[in-house]
Amino acid sequence: MLNILKKLKYGARVLLSKGGGQPETIDIAGKSTILLHGGAGEPFVYLHSALGESLMWLPFHQAFAEKFKVYSPIHPGFGRSGGFDQITDIEDMAFHYLDMLDALGLEQVCLGGVSLGGWIAAEIAVRWPERVKKLWIADAPGLWVESQPLGDLFRLAQNRDKLREMLFDDPKGAIATLVVKDQPDEAMMLNAFQAMSVLARMIWTRPYDPKLAGRLRRIACPTLLLWGDHDRLVPPAYGEVYQKLIPGAELKLIKDCGHLPMFEKEAEFVETITNFCLA
Amino acid sequence: MKYFFFHLMSWPYLDADFDAKNDSAWIWLSNSNYDPVKGHDLYREYIDTLAYAEELGFDGICVNEHHQNAYGLMPSPNVIAGALTQRTKKIKIAVIGNALPLYNPPLRVAEEFAMLDVMSGGRLITGMVIGGGPEYFSYQIEPTTAREKFREALDLIIKAWTTPGPFEWNSKHYYFRYVNPWPTPLQKPHPPIWIPGVGSAETIEFVAQRRYAYMGVPYFHIDVFRRVFGQFREACAKAGYEAHPEQMGWGVPIYVAETDKQARAEFEPAFRYFIKNLLKGIGLTPPGYTSPKSAAAILQNQKFFLYQQETWADIENGVFAIVGSPETVRQKLARYQKELGVGVVLTGCQTGTLPHHLARKSMELLAREVLPRVR
Repeated sequence: MLNILKKLKYGARVLLSKGGGQPETIDIAGKSTILLHGGAGEPFVYLHSALGESLMWLPFHQAFAEKFKVYSPIHPGFGRSGGFDQITDIEDMAFHYLDMLDALGLEQVCLGGVSLGGWIAAEIAVRWPERVKKLWIADAPGLWVESQPLGDLFRLAQNRDKLREMLFDDPKGAIATLVVKDQPDEAMMLNAFQAMSVLARMIWTRPYDPKLAGRLRRIACPTLLLWGDHDRLVPPAYGEVYQKLIPGAELKLIKDCGHLPMFEKEAEFVETITNFCLA
Repeated sequence: MKYFFFHLMSWPYLDADFDAKNDSAWIWLSNSNYDPVKGHDLYREYIDTLAYAEELGFDGICVNEHHQNAYGLMPSPNVIAGALTQRTKKIKIAVIGNALPLYNPPLRVAEEFAMLDVMSGGRLITGMVIGGGPEYFSYQIEPTTAREKFREALDLIIKAWTTPGPFEWNSKHYYFRYVNPWPTPLQKPHPPIWIPGVGSAETIEFVAQRRYAYMGVPYFHIDVFRRVFGQFREACAKAGYEAHPEQMGWGVPIYVAETDKQARAEFEPAFRYFIKNLLKGIGLTPPGYTSPKSAAAILQNQKFFLYQQETWADIENGVFAIVGSPETVRQKLARYQKELGVGVVLTGCQTGTLPHHLARKSMELLAREVLPRVR
C-alpha cells in the first residue's frame, strides 16, 4: 500500500516537472539529437545512464534546473535520437558531446552523469579538460577492477527480479518496481532494446576502456565521485579507483543506495552535486 | 528430391532434474557436465552413423556449428567434415554452416571449406550463417554489427574463391593486404552455398537475390514453413527468376519404426529430452542482433517454436516431427514435401537420448521403405 502511494507521489511530481524541460531536436555533426533543457544559470550537462532516464524530464532534472541551465541530451540510438550508425565505441560518444558543446556554443560546463553517462563524462574530461569546469561521476563503469569484475548486465536483463537486485539497494521498493516494471509495455520494451543495443556497442567486446585508467591523470578540474554504497552492478571499488587516478578527486558514498542514485536517493543526489558545482 | 541426413551430435547425459535446476543448456551450463571419455564413444558412434547414411543411399550428410552447449557438440563442424571426407566416397557433405562473424579472419572459412572441397573430391556444400544468439555470448562477438560482418565476410570468401590472388580487401569490418588462400575449391566457380534461416524476411530476400539455397531450420510449426517458402518463391520471382526446388530445404526430424505406436514409444522420450533440456536457452537473443522489428516478431512467433509445445498432439499437428510406421511416414512426407514445394529434405533420426541402435533402425526403415517411394 505504501509502495502504491509512493509511486503515485512520484507520478505527480513527474507531471509537475513536465513544463520544465523543453525538448528540442538539434543537429550535432549530422546526428539528429533530442535535447531537453530548462532552468537558468551556469550551464550544466547531464548525461544519462543506459536506462535512458532522460527520455523524460524527471523531478531530478527539474531540481537541477532550479539552480542551473540544464542540458539533458539523449544519446545517439536512444529514443528518437539518431546517429547510432555513426557510433562504434565510447570515444565516438565523447566526440559526439564535444560536437554538442560546440554546436551550443558552450565554452565550459559543469559536466556529469550516472553510470554510462558518468563514463562518457570521464572520456570527455580526459580529452578536453579545458571544456569542463566541474566534473561529477556517479556509479560509472569504464575501468576494470580485477577483484570485483562487473556482472553480465545482458544476462541479468533477462530476469526482472535479478535486474532490480543488481540496480537497487531496495529491490522491492516503490521506486525499483516503478523504474523496472514487471510487465513493461511495448514502448518500454522497444526503448530497452535500443538502449541495450547501444550499450552492447560500447561494452560487449570489453566492458571497459583499457586506455581510460592511464588518461585520468589529465583531468584538471575539481571532480566529485558519487557512489551508492550498495551499488551491486558497479561497486564502490570502481569509485575508489577513479579517485586514486583523478588528481584531487573526492569520493562520497550515498548510504543505502544502489546503482541509480537519481531515483533511489534523489534528494541527496541532487543536493550533493548542486553544492559541489556551486562551491 | 534430395534427402540429407542431419546430425546435431547432442549430449545425451544431462541429469534427470536438469530442467528444474538450470536456466539454459547453453553458454554458461558448466562444462563439468561433459565427460570426454563418454564423449570419445559418442563421436565414434555419431561419425559411424553419418557414414552409414552413405551406405543406405541418402544424398547427403549435414553437420553444423555451435559453441559451449549440450545441444550440439561440434564447435568445429569442419573437423567432423574432415573425418567424413575420409569415411565416405560419394555422398555430399554439407557443413551448414560456419558462423562467419565468429571467424577473424573470415579467410579461415575460405581456407577450411576449400580444403574440405579438395579433400572430398568436390562433394562439399558450404553453409554460411550469422550464428545463433547464444554464440555471440560464447565468443564475445559484438552483436549489433553481426549482419554487416556476415555480409562482408561472405563477399570476401566468395571473392577469395573466384578471383585469382593476391588481392587487397578493404571493408568496414575487415582489411587484408594479401588475400590469397591456398588451396582453392575444386568445384567451380565455387561450392554450392546454403543459408539456413529461421524465417526472417531479410534473410529470405537476400538468399533469393543471390540465388543461393534457403534451408529452413527445423523446430517450427508447419505454417511457418508454408509462409517461408511462399515468401521465398515470391522473392525469387521479384529477382527475375523462378525458384528451383533444390533452392529450398525443409528441416524436419523423422522417426520410423515398425508401427505407429512403437515409433512414438521409442521416439517421444528422446525428443522430450531434446525439447525440455537441449532447446532451453537456444533462443537467447543478444541486443541489436536483430532489428527492433524482427525482435518483436521473434517474440510473437514463440508459440510456433518447438520449445513451447506441450502435448504430443501439438507436435503432430504442427508437424514438428514426422513419426510413425513406414506407411504413415510415407504419406506425411509425400504430402508435406509436395505442399511446401521443396526439393531438399533435411532430416535427423537421431535426437536427444535416442539410443544408437534405434537411430540406425529408423534410418534403415526410412532409407529402404520410405524414401524410394517418395522421391
